[in-house]
Amino acid sequence: MSNKILEIDNLTVSFDGFKALNNLTFSMNEGELRVIIGPNGAGKTTFLDVITGKVQPTQGKVRFKGKKLSGRAEHNIAKLGIGRKFQTPRIYLNLTTRENLELCCNQTKSVLATLLKPTPQAELRTVGGLIETIGLEHKADKPAALLSHGEKQWLEIGMLVAQSPDLLLVDEPVAGLTDEETERTGELLIALAESHSVIVIEHDMEFVRQIARQVTVLHEGSVLCEGTMDEVQNDPRVIEVYLGTETSITSDQMLLLRIAATMAWADGNFEPAEQEIILDRLSRQFAQESAEQAVLKTELKDLLAKRIPLEELVPQLKTPNQREQALMLSYEIISVNQINQREALTYQTLLKLLDLPADTVSRLENATLEQLSNAH
Amino acid sequence: MAETRATNKNRKRTLEASIVIGLTLFLIFVAPLILSGFRLGLLGRFLALAIVALGVDLIWGYTGLLSLGQGIFFALGGYAFAMHLQLNLAGEGLPEFFGLYGVSQLPWFWQPFYSLPVTLIAIVVIPGIVAGLLGYLVFRNRIRGVYFSILTQAMLVVFFNFFNGQQKLINGTNGLTTDTTILFGQQVGSDRMQFAFYVATVIVLALTYGLCRWLTRGRFGRLLIAIRDDENRLRFSGYNPAMFKVLVFAVAGGIAGAAGALYTVQSSGITPQYMSVAFSIEMVIWVAVGGRATLGGAVLGALVVKWAEALLSERFPEVWLFFQGALFLLVVTVLPKGIVGWLRDDAVHQIRDLLGLQPQLSTYPDLELDPDVKREQHELAGK
Repeated sequence: MSNKILEIDNLTVSFDGFKALNNLTFSMNEGELRVIIGPNGAGKTTFLDVITGKVQPTQGKVRFKGKKLSGRAEHNIAKLGIGRKFQTPRIYLNLTTRENLELCCNQTKSVLATLLKPTPQAELRTVGGLIETIGLEHKADKPAALLSHGEKQWLEIGMLVAQSPDLLLVDEPVAGLTDEETERTGELLIALAESHSVIVIEHDMEFVRQIARQVTVLHEGSVLCEGTMDEVQNDPRVIEVYLGTETSITSDQMLLLRIAATMAWADGNFEPAEQEIILDRLSRQFAQESAEQAVLKTELKDLLAKRIPLEELVPQLKTPNQREQALMLSYEIISVNQINQREALTYQTLLKLLDLPADTVSRLENATLEQLSNAH
Repeated sequence: MAETRATNKNRKRTLEASIVIGLTLFLIFVAPLILSGFRLGLLGRFLALAIVALGVDLIWGYTGLLSLGQGIFFALGGYAFAMHLQLNLAGEGLPEFFGLYGVSQLPWFWQPFYSLPVTLIAIVVIPGIVAGLLGYLVFRNRIRGVYFSILTQAMLVVFFNFFNGQQKLINGTNGLTTDTTILFGQQVGSDRMQFAFYVATVIVLALTYGLCRWLTRGRFGRLLIAIRDDENRLRFSGYNPAMFKVLVFAVAGGIAGAAGALYTVQSSGITPQYMSVAFSIEMVIWVAVGGRATLGGAVLGALVVKWAEALLSERFPEVWLFFQGALFLLVVTVLPKGIVGWLRDDAVHQIRDLLGLQPQLSTYPDLELDPDVKREQHELAGK
């Protein structure tokens, strides 16, 4: 495992006794695009501060390409090949777009070289190419102060790339951007990830879903869990820290909820009636007493996320019993109103994935219908 | 596109160079014919102050370091030159004032100033080194903004008190006189020598302008502006701003030293008053009035303020300080970019507005005044 670009061991940073990072261990391969999420105050920005040398660790080690980073000044770490984009765009407002990029592109950053050597042609070409990549040709010679917020964000990403670092640290690149800008930023980052290792810190889950392959969740200064987006989203611990309430839901129950939600979304329209059924059935299934059920209902309501492909969810069901439950619940949801074509299609997919015997399916469907008519 | 940018830049540069050379020639050959000897002497002193203003513009206007201690370096340059002149006058013996305090042995640090070449180098290099050292200690510890300003002022007071108190070393509060001293066999206070110093001042001013322009254009200049805008960000781009700041601070110190020497010989001598707090603040006011980060503004500001001071204090000696305060307030509130900044950015627009000549725009000036857009509009209208 020599191709780890970043290794962090038992890192602790404490500010006057408050541990912003607490025994954090993290590692990342070269060429990886990693997204770090976590609620406010989880230590995400401190995490970047330590890597870039802005904050010195109280304990623990940070290694970049095998080299220890502690004790090095910010500019030396930057020279090793770590570039950072800040949460709010930090560009030089009185310089033009081109000049901003040119300054970062400079390969020899000593005082005398900067003073005496004219900008090499190769660097000018790189800058020209970058301006095209970030789509600011028409504003290349305007002071950066005149750029819009989104353009500033892109310019700063461009400045990062101009530095030609091996590791890009990107702190909330889509904060305050429109949906369209967000998508373009995502494409830009994915393109960059082909030739760089990238760490992105982000709050916007929609965006995370667009770009993420591997997600790390930070909570109270340590890594809570790591995995693909779906694994992370279904992890009850993650849900707990995000919603701030302690949930009693197990991950199995969570899975059932997700399948139900996806069925409800099948026709592109999540009706209140459908939601009511899901919440009602599940709360009754997961809890015995009515008081508990009521609490659980509000809790579950928060968890109804958007649809996730059934192909990912269903294989995670382990026991036949779970499969049957999923089937019944799904059938009930789509039967609330007239079953339309799309719902039927999704349901067929579900059946195929569940792979239950035909007679079991029809038995369960009938039982569900009976239940429904009893309820009316 | 890139080529037009390059030729535009070149044209601007040629224009600027010809203006500087033109003004230099004017000051050397024409000004002496127009102005009386007294006024020419004043102009020479003010031009020397314009040199130190260029240094202030370099560190404050471009790099954002508001130094309230430039008087230190100004005075160090002045003292260096005055010491040489005193030794020249004394010849084999000691400068006269030493006798008053019973000093019979020349202090060691006076020795190098027997030599004119060493003195000329020291005038620039000693203030430069002192500035560099002070700057290194301050910038390395990341002292910035208002704390830097306060610190420079504190250093100024320390230097003032030291020079003021050391009678036995440099004649303390009385300072060193130069007008009765001898250089090249001529008395420094004589008209011929004063004119020579005037010409030297004009030339040094032009050269300093060139140096500052060279430093502030290109990548180094953009880096200085980046330090002013967001110094911490620069660290994450891989630059160490501290070293850049040390360099410009040292350069500004050297410039102040040269200015101090030229000012001293045209003002009949130097006293520790050159290191007074008010004088160093005045330097900042010149740059603010003329326009920060313009270079030309620094020169203009120093000349305008000092000339106004000379004229006003002849008529109403008591009110000058009030006037200076009012001028500073006016600049801060009405012309935050200074005279040159206003002329460059807003003047045309505002005057047109006043006269009602402003073309009516229905969209953004950006769009409507763009030559490409105009041409297209023209072509479309033609069809």
